[in-house]
Amino acid sequence: MASRVTTESPVHAASGGVGPAAGHAGSATVPALRRRPSGLALALPALVLLLAFFALPVVLFLARSVTEPQPGFQNYAALFGGPTYLRILLNTFIVGGVVTAVTALLAFPVAWALAIMPPRWSALLFGIIVLSMWTNLLARTYAWMVLLQQTGVINRMLQALGIIDEPLRLVNNLVGVTIGMVYIMLPFMILPLTGVIRKIDPMILQAASLCGATRGQAFRRILLPLAAPGLAAGGLMVFVMSLGYFVTPALLGGTSNMMMGQLVAQQVQSLTNWGLGAAAAFVLLAVTLLLYAMQIRLLGRPEGMR
Amino acid sequence: MIPPFLHINGLRKTYGPVVATEHVELSIKEGEFMTFLGPSGSGKSTTLYILAGFQDPDTGDIRLRGRSILGVPSHKRNIGMVFQRYTLFPHLSVGENVAFPLRVRRLPQAEITRKVRRALELVRLGGFEERKPASLSGGQQQRVALARALVYDPPVLLMDEPLSALDKKLREEIQYEIRRIHRETGVTILYVTHDQEEALRLSDRIAIFNAGRIEQVGTGAELYTSPATHFVADFIGDSSFLDGTIAAVEGRCADLRLGDGTLARRIPLHAPGRPGQRAELMLRPERIELSPDPGPDGASLPVLVQDVTFLGNITDVVALTAWNAPVTVRLGFMHPLSGRLTRGDRLWIRWAAETVHAFPRD
Ligand SMILES: Nc1ncnc2c1ncn2[C@@H]1O[C@H](COP(=O)(O)OP(=O)(O)O)[C@@H](O)[C@H]1O
Ligand SMILES: [Mg+2]
Repeated sequence: MASRVTTESPVHAASGGVGPAAGHAGSATVPALRRRPSGLALALPALVLLLAFFALPVVLFLARSVTEPQPGFQNYAALFGGPTYLRILLNTFIVGGVVTAVTALLAFPVAWALAIMPPRWSALLFGIIVLSMWTNLLARTYAWMVLLQQTGVINRMLQALGIIDEPLRLVNNLVGVTIGMVYIMLPFMILPLTGVIRKIDPMILQAASLCGATRGQAFRRILLPLAAPGLAAGGLMVFVMSLGYFVTPALLGGTSNMMMGQLVAQQVQSLTNWGLGAAAAFVLLAVTLLLYAMQIRLLGRPEGMR
Repeated sequence: MIPPFLHINGLRKTYGPVVATEHVELSIKEGEFMTFLGPSGSGKSTTLYILAGFQDPDTGDIRLRGRSILGVPSHKRNIGMVFQRYTLFPHLSVGENVAFPLRVRRLPQAEITRKVRRALELVRLGGFEERKPASLSGGQQQRVALARALVYDPPVLLMDEPLSALDKKLREEIQYEIRRIHRETGVTILYVTHDQEEALRLSDRIAIFNAGRIEQVGTGAELYTSPATHFVADFIGDSSFLDGTIAAVEGRCADLRLGDGTLARRIPLHAPGRPGQRAELMLRPERIELSPDPGPDGASLPVLVQDVTFLGNITDVVALTAWNAPVTVRLGFMHPLSGRLTRGDRLWIRWAAETVHAFPRD
């Protein structure tokens, strides 16, 4: 029996993929660090730098939520007490949820195509996606403004086709924000999803088909569960980014239905109400950390964090 | 007339300019164990994939019990398959993997539980229901795959080199299991391998594939004793071939002039030949004699021992003819020369005319 296990292990390891190997590497570094305190010492300058430039400003800003205008939790009470701010909070979560859902729906077929395409084509498509991410955010958002406005291309085309009589209101409201943000967020969903789908052996889906599964059943029972870690990673990223997004809501959204990012900017910049702005920012941060903790509990650490 | 259980008729499949398989013609009986044997790239998998419905042929037809299955999508073909790579669903337990075909068929839970247990017991993995595929060895994973492919009682089971990733000892163990399962279930099996020993051990009949075509179909014994082509003779058994020229033809036999001028008399011809035509003399390693003395005239050849390999129960001897052509001779453990040969010994190989063949060259 023992000889059987050892002789088979190379096969097993080859098919098992990176999982166990990565686990080994991770557990090996921890004792190494403990054994050699110099490892921690070496990391110290970087840690100090990180604290000074990263954590400290954030902490100082967030602290203002309980110190301004006077010490206490009145900013949080204001935030959760009246319908105005609760509405903004709700807007933010609804838009975040819708953007995440729509992005996932659009990204899945793209990621699937990227994963099964010949490498040369998928590299080209990847290039285009990354290039779009590098293009100036303002430029891309203004482009959507041009497309979506009352006299924009989309409205004029729909009118010309006789589908609508009156131009649709696609900007200066949450519809415009959602459309613009889905576009911005797509790559953040496509990239992790493609990574996960690439690792699925297409033979597994052929096996499912021969077992009697229709395309729908194979998708629901096999592909979707296997792609779930990618969906979760991309979904978390998109949702969290959506919650705090400022540029797109500011340009494509209206003043009547604000989002949290706009609220923070408005409170701090226009009204110099640092306390309430900081409280709103803290709520966003808290939600983000909570979601991240939930993801780790449910699916383990995302790739690259092991 | 009753149509054959499974009939593959004039199958042809191309990938761009590559002809993967053509003129594939085969009838398979119900309950038969049929193996496709051939070198890598000879079109075995392509033929199997067409049966599974993953590929459509350019021309030809496949009929199961007289009815064409080509228009049927693969999820409705009700065919079982075990793949070369491990294809268990990694997120499902062993039990759920085997239950999968029954769940998509919406069987009642009680029946699923019963059938899954029976299928796992069939492959001797009873009690493994809760394990995850990743925690199993390669051999165990393929046995689960076998259970998954058999749990819905398919009329035909396809197996595409299912053991090629396993080491030799384990492979033989599972070959034995596959034979037992075939016996117990009576399922018709189409099995693909490039390993002649595996094919001989498992199959009722073997179809020899070469360059996209079937060269010959027959039982192992038929292929061994009367190979239809040079390729089959070469692939089954480690035969040696000696170049010669046909000196005279007499009925279905010919006299062959070999490289050193020796005349090999009354050799059965595999195809019609004429004097002056080049031909190859096929010698089976275990059917020729090695001896210190020449045999009767026209049935022996002087050789020089080049290499001796002791393999336990047998000894393989490679000897060179006078014109430096290698001939392999296999000696049993009890052979008087076994254990006494060394490189450089001068001996004679001898044959009985009915154990050799001549293949005329085109
Ligand atoms: N998807 C494919 N695209 C292009 N050529 C293929 C494809 N599948 C198989 N072939 C070619 O068809 C021939 C037969 O392949 P295959 O049936 O896989 O052979 P075997 O299973 O006997 O090793 C080979 O030359 C192979 O390169
Ligand atoms: Mg193959």
